[in-house]
Amino acid sequence: MKILVPVKRVIDYNVKARVKADKTGVDLANVKMSMNPFDEIAVEEAIRKKEAGQAEEIIAVSIGPAQAQETLRTALAMGADRAILIQTDDIVEPLAVAKLLKAVVDAEQPGLVILGKQAIDDDSNQTGQMLAALLGWPQGTFASIVKVVGDGIEVTREVDGGLETVALTLPAIVTTDLRLNEPRYASLPNIMKAKKKQLDVKTAADYGVDISPRLKTLKVEEPAKRAGGIKVKTIEELVDKLKNEAGVI
Amino acid sequence: MEFAFSAEQEQFRDILARFLKDKSPPRAVRRLMATAEGFDADVWRQACGEMGLAGLHLPEAYGGAGYGPVELGIAMEEQGRTLFCAPFLASAVMAGYAVLLAGSEDQRHALLPGIADGSTIATVAICERAGLWSESDITVAATRAGDGWQLDGRKRFVVDGQTADQLIVAARSAAGVSLFIVDARADGVHRSAANVMDPTRKLADIDFDAAPAQLLGIEGQAPLDRIFDAVLVSFANEIVGGAQAMLDSAVEYTKLRVQFGRTIASFQAIKHRLADLLVDVELAKAAAYQAAQQLADGDSATASASLAKAAASEVYMRAARECIQLHGGIGFTWENDTHLWFKRAKSSEVFLGTPGEHRERMLQAMGV
Repeated sequence: MKILVPVKRVIDYNVKARVKADKTGVDLANVKMSMNPFDEIAVEEAIRKKEAGQAEEIIAVSIGPAQAQETLRTALAMGADRAILIQTDDIVEPLAVAKLLKAVVDAEQPGLVILGKQAIDDDSNQTGQMLAALLGWPQGTFASIVKVVGDGIEVTREVDGGLETVALTLPAIVTTDLRLNEPRYASLPNIMKAKKKQLDVKTAADYGVDISPRLKTLKVEEPAKRAGGIKVKTIEELVDKLKNEAGVI
Repeated sequence: MEFAFSAEQEQFRDILARFLKDKSPPRAVRRLMATAEGFDADVWRQACGEMGLAGLHLPEAYGGAGYGPVELGIAMEEQGRTLFCAPFLASAVMAGYAVLLAGSEDQRHALLPGIADGSTIATVAICERAGLWSESDITVAATRAGDGWQLDGRKRFVVDGQTADQLIVAARSAAGVSLFIVDARADGVHRSAANVMDPTRKLADIDFDAAPAQLLGIEGQAPLDRIFDAVLVSFANEIVGGAQAMLDSAVEYTKLRVQFGRTIASFQAIKHRLADLLVDVELAKAAAYQAAQQLADGDSATASASLAKAAASEVYMRAARECIQLHGGIGFTWENDTHLWFKRAKSSEVFLGTPGEHRERMLQAMGV
């Protein structure tokens, strides 16, 4: 079985994102970028499946600028076998990503696609579900356990109020939640080996997919700054403020 | 000379920095420095196993990854940045180089794979009363005993000497100074923790009382200077990592602290201090990187190793002092983390020789 793992280059999770002065988006100039953490979990899960003898090949795919090759090299250093970059400098919305991934799936015929449940830059949480719909494949989203059982997989999902386990036939889509695994750190020898692994650079046109945006961003703003707290003298005063000022009770 | 890290080396640095940020935040450093062993065995296993850190500079034939002083320097710099509490300097660097440069082929095969995968923790015991890495300072006596040797005397300032499994000990016999392998748990080895100012780097005093030993390499031909050069280069890279951490911390805090309605980083007097510090740190880094490259090229690195150690340790102290000053009142409190680096800076300044001693060594190596 082949496993396809889409990975996204996003603003590093340690970086405090700042909005551009003209409020058209997040300022990415000279900002450290890295692989979306949920995608790292997806890569790790694919590697574990391969190490367990349940998969033969792992293909990492990314859609983004030329620098996304670095993200793919990280996936290769972790243990992916080869990579595909669909290079574009445009903003690619989840639907366009899903369409491109469908095209990659059609070409590569993987048995399983493991994606991060969402990217930490736009928090859309849509690509996996859209891809499942476009392919007509079963999906196990927010996975905290993925087990290969016979010809299918069992996915334990983190849902409101507990865990839900679903059985899927293959091919299928899985999106990863935070607790699925702890991704490995690539060693220097593996980073060096990754340099020699195959990385194909394509364009959206190669797959015949229109990636023009359907959405228009009107304005991006930073969250309101948190106001300082106050001390209340009595419980009565607290209740009064909660009722009359905060309006929460 | 032109020097730049490759894209892969930078990627390795990024991944290692993330590993250390996750595994060695200040709260972990504080927790571990209060323990007797001073490191987390699980994190050590992961560092040596998954990341292959301890064998980075050791040849593949002996279980290492086959890289060199430059890559080891990256590993040391990042560890210095986070005060990573682990027997890396003692085991991977000091003992690793000692066995590699002094040991016979059989001894390398016997000892280095364990050092490379972290399952063996080794250290070297060279210094004695004067605290010098020098043949003239060595008085521990080695005498033949049956098929092997026995050692008598006292070693001081042994890094991670309390937790090491194997000791590489410099001792004097009739033929001169040699290195010996001693099982740290053997009869006749008495270890006591030294009272140190920097609790993130554990030191021990070790007494040998007819302790059984095995000769490492050839009697009377311990390559102490070559080992010292390699260790100094790595140590200088660790030191510049700490200095950079102090600069980063000072910059971050001054951009946060507001006074008179603006951040103090916007005041020219603060900017000048930080700019001066940046220049100093960059120069020290250049010296450390250049020494690592020179060692990697197989050239004699004595002068550049001592230059790097002298320059880096002085800059580290200056950076730690400036960082405390720029933090203002909070800077010298226990709750603020700066003192952890300040203490490491102070211990690094004198450990393995003061800047003055290294300038002298550098000049001698240059024939001045």
